[in-house]
Amino acid sequence: MIESLIAPLRAVWESLIERLLFLPPFPESIDALALFSLLLVTGLLMGEWLHAHARWPKVIGYVLAGILFGPSLLGWIGVETLAQARPIADAALGLLMMEVGRRLDLSWLRRNPELLRSTLADIGLSFALIFAFALWLVGLSPAWAAATAAVTMASAPAVVLLTVEESRAQGQVTERIILHTAISSAASFVAFAFVLGVVHAELSEDWLNAVVHPIWVVTGALLVGGLGSWLALRIARALPKRSLAQVFVLVACALLAVGIARMLAVPVFLTLFLMGVLLAAFDRRQTLRYTELPDGHWLLAIVLFVIVGASLPWQEFTWLAGLQALGLLLVRAAAKAAALAWSGGSLPLPKRLLVGMGIQPLSATAVFMAYELASLYPEVGRSALTLPLFAAAMMELAGPALCRLALRRSGECENEAGERGGIA
Amino acid sequence: MSGTALGEFKDSAALSLGVELELQLVSRRDYDLTRGATDLLGSMDYDGRFGEIKLEITESMIEISTQAQASVDGIAADLAGLRDTLHSHCARNNIGVCGGGTHPFHHWPERRICPGDRFHGLYQRYGYLAKQFTVFGQHIHVGCTSADEAIWLTQALGVHVPAFIALSASSPFVDGVDSFYQSARLNAVSAFPLSGQCPALDSWQQFTEHFAFLQACGIAEGIKDLYWDVRPKPEFGTVEIRVCDTPLAIEQAIALAALAQSLCRWLLRTRPPLHTAKQAHVARYNKFQACRYGLDAMLSDPVALCQVSLRESLARLLDDISEDARELGCLHWLSPLKQMVVDNAGDAAWLRAQFAQHGNLHDVVRAASERLMRQNNDSRGVTP
Repeated sequence: MIESLIAPLRAVWESLIERLLFLPPFPESIDALALFSLLLVTGLLMGEWLHAHARWPKVIGYVLAGILFGPSLLGWIGVETLAQARPIADAALGLLMMEVGRRLDLSWLRRNPELLRSTLADIGLSFALIFAFALWLVGLSPAWAAATAAVTMASAPAVVLLTVEESRAQGQVTERIILHTAISSAASFVAFAFVLGVVHAELSEDWLNAVVHPIWVVTGALLVGGLGSWLALRIARALPKRSLAQVFVLVACALLAVGIARMLAVPVFLTLFLMGVLLAAFDRRQTLRYTELPDGHWLLAIVLFVIVGASLPWQEFTWLAGLQALGLLLVRAAAKAAALAWSGGSLPLPKRLLVGMGIQPLSATAVFMAYELASLYPEVGRSALTLPLFAAAMMELAGPALCRLALRRSGECENEAGERGGIA
Repeated sequence: MSGTALGEFKDSAALSLGVELELQLVSRRDYDLTRGATDLLGSMDYDGRFGEIKLEITESMIEISTQAQASVDGIAADLAGLRDTLHSHCARNNIGVCGGGTHPFHHWPERRICPGDRFHGLYQRYGYLAKQFTVFGQHIHVGCTSADEAIWLTQALGVHVPAFIALSASSPFVDGVDSFYQSARLNAVSAFPLSGQCPALDSWQQFTEHFAFLQACGIAEGIKDLYWDVRPKPEFGTVEIRVCDTPLAIEQAIALAALAQSLCRWLLRTRPPLHTAKQAHVARYNKFQACRYGLDAMLSDPVALCQVSLRESLARLLDDISEDARELGCLHWLSPLKQMVVDNAGDAAWLRAQFAQHGNLHDVVRAASERLMRQNNDSRGVTP
């Protein structure tokens, strides 16, 4: 479609190029900055419009913009464009993952062991039930069923953080949604690394890759994340706390880690998550503890979700695949609700169930993990991972709404707490 | 008429004590105030053995109040029990608790009003002042054997308001900056229309008539509408001192209760002349001096027509009431106050020293939160 629109322009340009010496060849691809700007503005407009008119979370608008302009519908954002925009998506996801890692407060689990029980139950039940569903009801092989479970078991850190920020939510439900999301993401990454080996073993019977690839991923992410956090803390120590200079150092070190991870083919989401965890764990002098990401990270987040929306394989949608994905989401929802109903550490049952609702989102990390796994053996991987990709595609739209609903029902959103009181 | 709104004055045991502390609920991530009070109370498993834990106007505040006690040591035991109870429940919810009269850097528009008709009514009535009222004070109740005694003590204690302000001052930072005040908290209170001092009244009869007048003018509906520095509290049978900042540690809160009890005993025993009409002219000035300069304040004496150093007059007062403190068994709690008058090491100075050390207010609140929860118990209970 885009080609037909620009064909006349191309013809004029090429007729002029012989006479006008200064003219460059007709640009075959869009400049990266122009692309960034277009993705940003389209996502922003859609998100703001839906938020203003339907009170939907803005994230849904960003994703819808991606779906609308992506290969599945209008095709204005092509596959090459998506590949070109990948560094921006990696940077955006990386920064959000680092933020989630920084918020992983393991000391809270020590002070409230019931929380440890509920998070372990969430992780265990989600993985086991999704694995069983994919293996027995969908009929995937054990390796791809495990891959499906690893990819979809966790909540979506980026969606949760943005929804919490957008709602300006504060309180126990909010804090527990963030904690559950961070811990289940960590567990999902461990499962992901393990599954990498399993997939190699099943598909190529190559034991060297089956053993070394997970080690490469985990060790690489740990070393790069460790380097990023060490550098950030080391440099930031010389600067005033919470200064703009510290913010720049934090962002620069995060982007350095993103870049190195990309160079070494180590997953960016895992690397930056670990960097965030290590930043929080080794910051004994509170050097960067109070330094927040600038509001500009919303800019990158918008582009991230437009890209994620455009990456969703809606063109391959079949009713069977849709039903299977819906089944997976229901099983996953049941697992999370059951885990929170069983244990939740000093929170009344209705609020625990709201935590269960708030951790339903499934998004960017799942999509990126699925593509990471699919790229190992493209000939089988893409079709084998249709299930988690469709589940993520559905949850891209429902997840933010569910998370937002949970926060609103808990009475923890700004302007809704106090006056209304929320649920007891 | 007034009797209905005020209720009967309930006589209580002479010089019995009760203490209320408003405390800050802070996020353990960045030590800003956080929304936590209703969640905390909703999940609390506590049998009330040390007193009550209650909501306050905004979600970032919690109030603890001891049971009525005959002795300062009883107050000490209750406050230690309440602190430890709060500590364990807050730990389970990942919330920090902190003393101090103001939160040094919170952004008041972000505060959330607690659910409940009373809080909703206050918000509707006072608008943004209700959110700005996220300041934290200590209230001390002293038991009175009669309503007239409560009115007399209300007047007599008014002269000593600057002493309580200076000794408790723990709110030097507001909105992220050093206010230059030792206690900036009271500036938030003084915005309310019924704040200030009790007028010159001589008896309970005059007080009920004055209250009926306020009621008839539509100004006040109940005793809670009077935000006076010192006021009678008929339902408890007490006189309530309301000017103290919440100290950074419960030991200081206990010492202030000891001061209140000993001072009331001394006042009732010696019955000094009050000069209430003259004192009314200088009360606001003296209060400002104490808030701004703490123990370095120069107070106006409307009788001798001169200025006197608060530090010097307080040192004399502490000596004067020592015998009463000994009789009440709380002399040991006055020692830290005497020391403070000498070396000027109050809570406001401590907070400024922390800021000088860390260079940021987040670490100041972290240090203050750790200080409140630090236990200073021995086999006899909490010690000064």
